[in-house]
Amino acid sequence: MNRRDNPPSLRRIALSLVAVTAAALALTACGSSNQSADGTTAITLSMQNPDVKTADPATAAIVSAFEKANPKIKVTVSGEAVADHLQKLSIAAQSDTLPDIFWVYKSTAEDMSKAGKLLDLAPVLDELKLKDTFPASTIDNFSTGKTIYGVPYQGLLTGLWVNKKILADNGISMPASFDELVAAAKVLNGKGITTISNGANQSAFSVWSFLTDLDRYGFQDKVKGLLDGSVKYTNDDFLTLYTHIDELRHAGAFASNVSTQTYQQAVEQFTSGKAAFLDAGVWASSTIQSSAVAPDIAFWKGPEFSDGVGEQNIIMNVASAPFAVDHRVGNDPQKLDAVKKFLAFYYSDAAQQILVDNGQPPVTTYQPTVDATQQSALKAALDAATSKGVKSPQSQPDLLVPTPVANAMYDSIYGVIQGQLTPKAALELVQKALDANRQ
Amino acid sequence: MIWISTRWKLLLMLAPALVAFTMFVVYPVVYSGVFSFTRFQGFGDPKWIGLGNYAELFADPFFWQALQNTVVILVVSLAILIPTAFALALLLRRKIAGSGALRALIFGPAIIAPILVGLIWVFILDPKIGLLNRFLVTLGLPAVPWIGGDVLSPVSVSVVFIWSSVGFAMTIFYAGLQQLPSDVIEAASIDGSSSWQTLRYVTIPMMKETFAIVTILMITNIFKIFELVYMLTGGGPVHRSETLVSYMYFVTFTNQQYGYGMALAVVITVLGAVVSAGYLALSRRKEQAA
Repeated sequence: MNRRDNPPSLRRIALSLVAVTAAALALTACGSSNQSADGTTAITLSMQNPDVKTADPATAAIVSAFEKANPKIKVTVSGEAVADHLQKLSIAAQSDTLPDIFWVYKSTAEDMSKAGKLLDLAPVLDELKLKDTFPASTIDNFSTGKTIYGVPYQGLLTGLWVNKKILADNGISMPASFDELVAAAKVLNGKGITTISNGANQSAFSVWSFLTDLDRYGFQDKVKGLLDGSVKYTNDDFLTLYTHIDELRHAGAFASNVSTQTYQQAVEQFTSGKAAFLDAGVWASSTIQSSAVAPDIAFWKGPEFSDGVGEQNIIMNVASAPFAVDHRVGNDPQKLDAVKKFLAFYYSDAAQQILVDNGQPPVTTYQPTVDATQQSALKAALDAATSKGVKSPQSQPDLLVPTPVANAMYDSIYGVIQGQLTPKAALELVQKALDANRQ
Repeated sequence: MIWISTRWKLLLMLAPALVAFTMFVVYPVVYSGVFSFTRFQGFGDPKWIGLGNYAELFADPFFWQALQNTVVILVVSLAILIPTAFALALLLRRKIAGSGALRALIFGPAIIAPILVGLIWVFILDPKIGLLNRFLVTLGLPAVPWIGGDVLSPVSVSVVFIWSSVGFAMTIFYAGLQQLPSDVIEAASIDGSSSWQTLRYVTIPMMKETFAIVTILMITNIFKIFELVYMLTGGGPVHRSETLVSYMYFVTFTNQQYGYGMALAVVITVLGAVVSAGYLALSRRKEQAA
């Protein structure tokens, strides 16, 4: 038989391939349809937690309530750990396949907005009359010019959780100043008790109280200059703060395994009564509430510094990283309508109360109802945030700088806490990241 | 009769594999190489900066720290793992009671996912809650920062890597030993060769190819160590315990500096290839000299 006898088979193969490809394309086309036969519109929500139901019950509860109130809209929630989530978003932004609504770092959202990947939410917020429901700083935080690229996801109320019983048992009064905190650390260290529970392993960002301390040394006033190069991170004010952090280390304030401990283990250390303070935020209130230390809990804005710069009576109570909306949503009227309904619901009083019921502060100006017994930890944090005379910066320092600079800031603080960097070397590390960012 | 050995039919049959290889290996490698010359944050337009990322890399102290740690892990692991795995294979080749069970036991860690291996060893090596330090403290000895410091962390990673890989290496050696012709060993024995002499002058020379395979596999695996570091220390404190791959992950995905991360990836690939090729060249030269 001639070797050329099989072209008909090849034709059959080629035809089969064409048929399979056509079928695949048809299936893909079906998959990308926004509205199903029964008129249901599907939107996607992508979060920074691998298991939203357990790690972020507030969002899961809001989505559930929204779907109940809007049976014709289906919200598909997905999530990964922060680094994986951001990686996925970068790839999706590059291929123009971003989820409809997604959590993202402020600096990344700004870059995406500049690249035209995000929907300008200004007209949406105007139409929904939502602008007035947010504190003014929230809108400013998520705006570039007249474009609003993000809306607040949850509140970022951070500080130090306090186990009052440990302090009382060791004859220590609740500290107010940094010197009193150092004195408390010396006493507690002498008795083998960790003063401030932190965990750097896989959670180098867990330095919230020290980020607030940066604001007690004038970070908000310096940030513009830091970014344009007219102010150095290696300035004397920040050197004073980092030297104070070093003093805390020398006083034995931190766990000996702070390098290998994760944030979750740090929380566990605190909730099991082995640490006097926990560097965290209001998101930890539910975990603390369900632990044995709940009756002894207070929330502290952090120490005031006698050599600080500017206002010392501050607490970090700002909007966290925002929700952003994919720009393609604007081209699809049904999807846009569904997203508008979702945002209107998310910032309604009912949804804000769901946030509070799940241990989160409201992100609007809504005054929540808090059960003083069942939610004593959350109430302690909210009371601290609204106590007389206390002010909040506009934003947390790391949210005002590009991601590599923010990571360098975390490294610099943990570097001093772990004794790996001198205060001067720590400042230089951040300055180097700032210099690289300007190139 | 249908002939399938014509050139175009062979090409047709190779095409799916070639297409897949090009799509999933060649294209990403070339793509990474090109992006290593850009400043790119993962979306938007990359900015061409020539050798800027490479210049930055060589001035980056964390890169040198990661390289140093990788070299420490490479040297410690190879120096201990290869002889240990070979010794275990020799031992378990003998017909001793329970050798099958022992082989399975030693191979066990090789089937545990590296992320779980890291998790297991955190509870052994952690300076505060780890079993090892608790044992030392019970004996009245001071606690040692096995992980979390900048000195012992790479050595500890090596130990964990050895623990998780020794069974795999042993299995390859064991298979190699099984393939040796028994008549040569017997002839050496009849000629009065001692066990050590048989091992030194007969067995090991005949196992050269197996040694090369195991060494190359281990070198490439060491250059890929990520999960162990991620679980044990997260690369900390302050990147002091990063390996090249874990630092590349940090730069690329945590810092979102894709261009810089790709430059690191290129350097890792080149280093891995150079070390492997260097080892092969060295072993061939020795073989030719013999």
